[in-house]
Amino acid sequence: MTQLVADAVRQASVNFVDTAAMLLPRILITASVVAVGWVIAWALKWAVRWILLWLGFNHGCDRIGVGTVLKTADLPPADTLVGMIVFWLVWVGFLLSGVDVLGFTALEGMVRSFALFVPRLLVAIVILVLGVVCANFAWRATLIAAVNARIPSPRVVSGAVRALVLILAGAMALDQIALARTIVLTAFAIAFGAVMLGLAIAFGVGGGGIARRILDHWFPEHPSTEREEFRHL
Amino acid sequence: MADESLLSDDLLRQLVAVGHVDILVGIPTLNNATTVVEVVRAAQAGIGKYFPRARSVIFNADSGSDDGTPALVRDATTDDTGTVTASRPLRTTQRITTPYHGLPGKGSALRMIFAVADLLSADAVVVLDPDVTSVEPEWIPALVRPVLSSEAEIVAPLYSRAVSDGPLVTQLLRPLVRAAYGWRLQEPLMGEFGCSRRFAGHCLDRPSWGGGAMSDGVDLWMTGEALANGFRPSQTALGPRLLAHARKRPGLPDVFQQVMEAVSVCLEAHAGYWLTRGPAEPVPCTGALPGAVELGARPDVTGMAEAFRRDVVALHPVLATILSKATLGGVSAAAAAPGPLVYSDELWAATVFESLIAYHRAVMTREHVTQSLLPLYLGRTASFLLQYGSSGPAVVYDALESLGQAFERAKPQAAAQWKKA
Amino acid sequence: MSDDDPLWYKDAVIYQLHVKTFFDSDSDGVGDFKGLTSKLDYLEGLGVNTLWLLPTFPSPFRDDGYDIADYYSIHPMYGTMDDFKTFLAAAHDRGLRVVTELVLNHTSDKHPWFQEARSSRDNPRRDWYVWSDTDDRYRGVRIIFLDTETSNWAWDPVSKQYYWHRFFSHQPDLNYDNPEVRDEMWRVMEFWAGLGVDGFRVDAVPYLVEREGTTCEGMPETHEVIRFLRSQLDAHFPGRMLLAEANQVPELVRPYFGNGDEFHMAFHFPLMTRMFMATRLEDRGPLTDIIRRTPALPDTCQWAVFLRNHDELTLEMVTPEEREFMYDEYARDPVARLNLGIRRRLAPLLDGDRRRVELMNGLLMSLPGSPIVYYGDEIGMGDNVYLGDRNGVRTPMQWSGGWNGGFSSADPERLAFAMISNPVYGYQAVNVLAQERTGHSLLNWMRRLIRVRRSTRVFSRGTLTLLDPPNQRVLAYVRAYEREQVLVVNNLAGTVQAVELDLSSLAGAIPVEMFGQSLFPRIGTEPYLLTLGPHAFYWFRLRRL
Repeated sequence: MTQLVADAVRQASVNFVDTAAMLLPRILITASVVAVGWVIAWALKWAVRWILLWLGFNHGCDRIGVGTVLKTADLPPADTLVGMIVFWLVWVGFLLSGVDVLGFTALEGMVRSFALFVPRLLVAIVILVLGVVCANFAWRATLIAAVNARIPSPRVVSGAVRALVLILAGAMALDQIALARTIVLTAFAIAFGAVMLGLAIAFGVGGGGIARRILDHWFPEHPSTEREEFRHL
Repeated sequence: MADESLLSDDLLRQLVAVGHVDILVGIPTLNNATTVVEVVRAAQAGIGKYFPRARSVIFNADSGSDDGTPALVRDATTDDTGTVTASRPLRTTQRITTPYHGLPGKGSALRMIFAVADLLSADAVVVLDPDVTSVEPEWIPALVRPVLSSEAEIVAPLYSRAVSDGPLVTQLLRPLVRAAYGWRLQEPLMGEFGCSRRFAGHCLDRPSWGGGAMSDGVDLWMTGEALANGFRPSQTALGPRLLAHARKRPGLPDVFQQVMEAVSVCLEAHAGYWLTRGPAEPVPCTGALPGAVELGARPDVTGMAEAFRRDVVALHPVLATILSKATLGGVSAAAAAPGPLVYSDELWAATVFESLIAYHRAVMTREHVTQSLLPLYLGRTASFLLQYGSSGPAVVYDALESLGQAFERAKPQAAAQWKKA
Repeated sequence: MSDDDPLWYKDAVIYQLHVKTFFDSDSDGVGDFKGLTSKLDYLEGLGVNTLWLLPTFPSPFRDDGYDIADYYSIHPMYGTMDDFKTFLAAAHDRGLRVVTELVLNHTSDKHPWFQEARSSRDNPRRDWYVWSDTDDRYRGVRIIFLDTETSNWAWDPVSKQYYWHRFFSHQPDLNYDNPEVRDEMWRVMEFWAGLGVDGFRVDAVPYLVEREGTTCEGMPETHEVIRFLRSQLDAHFPGRMLLAEANQVPELVRPYFGNGDEFHMAFHFPLMTRMFMATRLEDRGPLTDIIRRTPALPDTCQWAVFLRNHDELTLEMVTPEEREFMYDEYARDPVARLNLGIRRRLAPLLDGDRRRVELMNGLLMSLPGSPIVYYGDEIGMGDNVYLGDRNGVRTPMQWSGGWNGGFSSADPERLAFAMISNPVYGYQAVNVLAQERTGHSLLNWMRRLIRVRRSTRVFSRGTLTLLDPPNQRVLAYVRAYEREQVLVVNNLAGTVQAVELDLSSLAGAIPVEMFGQSLFPRIGTEPYLLTLGPHAFYWFRLRRL
């Protein structure tokens, strides 16, 4: 009996040593791939940041309002963010190749589904970012236009516009990563519909005057406000 | 030199017939049938009475009128007075009317007028606004003589303005041009002006006038070009400037947008000049202005003041990106203060300069910067009229003078900020 | 004259000269008829066909012969009556007609008629002049010689009354209300016409008759006198011509033609002034204006057109503004101004500019009317503004560069008027002999011009149709007579000009330039482009072949 156990143990340890002997070079290769990948990713991050700085990317982001958003969200500036994304994308790629070398099928399956998920996640992030940018732009444009057109409660109107755009963008992003699709869809439909219905009721019932004023502003017949009564030039 | 492709064959044929002239009167038109005949008559009478021996031509650049304006220009006659022997003037004043096919807008029309003046070697060029109903024959010698006598190369008009007339000029453009360009020009937006051929040629050499099809803005650009390039300015008293009422004019937001865009374009184009320009010099003036004409009941601006208070609160987050903390604080304080609205000269000067710098830096979409300034401009106008609306001309003059000085004081810091951007 | 055409004066090219300053044959310093006769070959060579002589009557010469002391003879310093007859015959032999002066309005105060009239109030000739006890009759009538006279009345110390004089005070006006005066003046005309004179230039026509409360110019009674004289002339001497000097706007000259029963011709003064104005302004406006205002004449009548004459260039009939312009441009030095006019010759007026001289002569020869060349202007003579009155334009003719310019072999100090001797216009520089030897001299050019003018009747008898090209510096018109048409284009500017003419009504014609016979492109319906050098002019005969 002891002999059987000893033989089994001996066999198992031989198998283990064999597997280890087979794995070790792979592990070494994986490690080197990961290490080299890190270096390349790091270099690329700095190269991308340098290029973006040279192009004035930060400045452009400030213009469209993304910069402010990043600041309020306590995120690093835009170029750093992009650099970081580039770094992680490249290094994750190398990581995945390294894992591939190891040859663990279970791991490969996980890696594959993760690899399929990442692009969708990226697109969702882009949609969100774009959505935030558009929402900010729309908010500012609406606020200024409402103020100059003497529409009452300009802040409310512009806030509502921003909210609408954000909701839309958020829903699109969540839909993109297929997260709780049905719930998100229904919730979005309800929220969006409610806002639109509310606006319509407010506009139709209580907003006749506003409507008239908006129309007058778009299709002016004669100066109806006192600021138009005198000659500005 | 002159851009020949501006001139059609037919126009060129007419120019061949006219030949060298001493004085060219340019009238850019678009559907001005109700007013243009009097303008042409006044021009003809002015030339005939004050420059009887000069060779002259009245040139009308029409941008596609459909109310018969060009025909009216061509056929306008002066009244026949005098005896049999006095029935004709010494010289025949030629008249040319032609459509132009460039981009619509006053800029293209002026370009064509300058091109014709250059080709005809005109010693003096006068541009008249066909919308003005108060043109007198005396405007011609007022705008031409300083050029012919080489006292000035650009002659700006001086209008008698009521206190509530033209706040965009009196509160914004005038003090800004004074501070930035260093000349005390009363009317930087020259609806009518006179200039030398050298200036016309200089403008023609510029590939584009303020970047594309400018409308009202081109007047300001022209002023800036003249001041920034060493063309001696002078100004001449013309009297009241009354416009035809029937015309449909663009609304205030559009006008304000155009003017602010024009200002910004000018400041960009002439940065090399105005950033280092010293204190403002007076511009020589000829003629004496008659008393200002009240244009109607003085507008009630209390509503404007109230609107300003509301608008400042509503726009606060946007203004925070444009104005400095101190200035925004001042504006908010003014809006919140009880009693009549007071928007001080210093605060207004800081507001204007910081807005222009924000525009220059493009801290946000540029249109948003200028549109955000509009409520502040209305607030400043309301404040000024509340304070001086019933005052006499001397008091108003002093108030505007102190506004100009406030702008001049604010300029050095603004220039430093501009350079940093 | 052999030519029996009663309308000969329409084809006349007239040469106005002063016997006194033309050529001196007897070395007394004064020109004479013998001298003039000796120069008739020159005049024939020039191409003119009519001579108009300034007065050669006996006279005290206080108005250069226009103050006449004897209507029936020749002043001895010009020669004898036989000299005159010889001259007349010689002129006629060469085909040259002769027009003399007839001063109807006034005589010299040295004339026997006046001497008799003033001797006593009962003298039979008393009524031959206009007398008054006071000088306030005909109040308000304008004074013509503003620079020298202060009133139209002069006091006669002999008969203690005022006498009327529209001109100098030594030129008392004849009284045409007296039929004797009228008859006598007819006898004067009859005398000279009988000798063979072809026409009379009647001086100072408008002023013959005075009436209270009027301007005393152009009275109906004046026209009656003229009609009388004309009818007599036609009856006894058909084919003779009467030329009126009436310095008025053309509308007011028209009555002097009557219905073809008064004057045959009259001077067109305003046209002359406008020619100078238009070429200086470089604008055809003044010319086209006066052309349009010139009334049509009876078929037998003709205008007389001229550039300069023995009088000042009159600026009476222009606006004050135009007068200022003319003074500033043509007579900046006030010494050249006289009696609301400018007393200068053609060449100095045009700054000696050969091109402008040619242009003005081209206009003279192509506008309607019979042209008059003032002696000396065909060689571009200068003037002497420092001689008194209008004598500056009446200096002796410059024939050569020698002694006294070839005018006279008398001592230079003896000459009636001194020769012009400055380096620009003096006789050494400007004279006939030198110009005859120079191919393109003004003299030779004028000969060519006159030859072309006379080669066709289109200029002398044709209609004129103004063209209206957009270029105001170009004056263009079409002359037409019977089937002949000539297109005339003048560049009034001193700069090269391009002009497009609307000649669609002449489409199909081939223009042939008349001086060089060059062909030009056929006229079509499109605007016809021409380019002209400074002050250039073209005469195109329009051929249809």
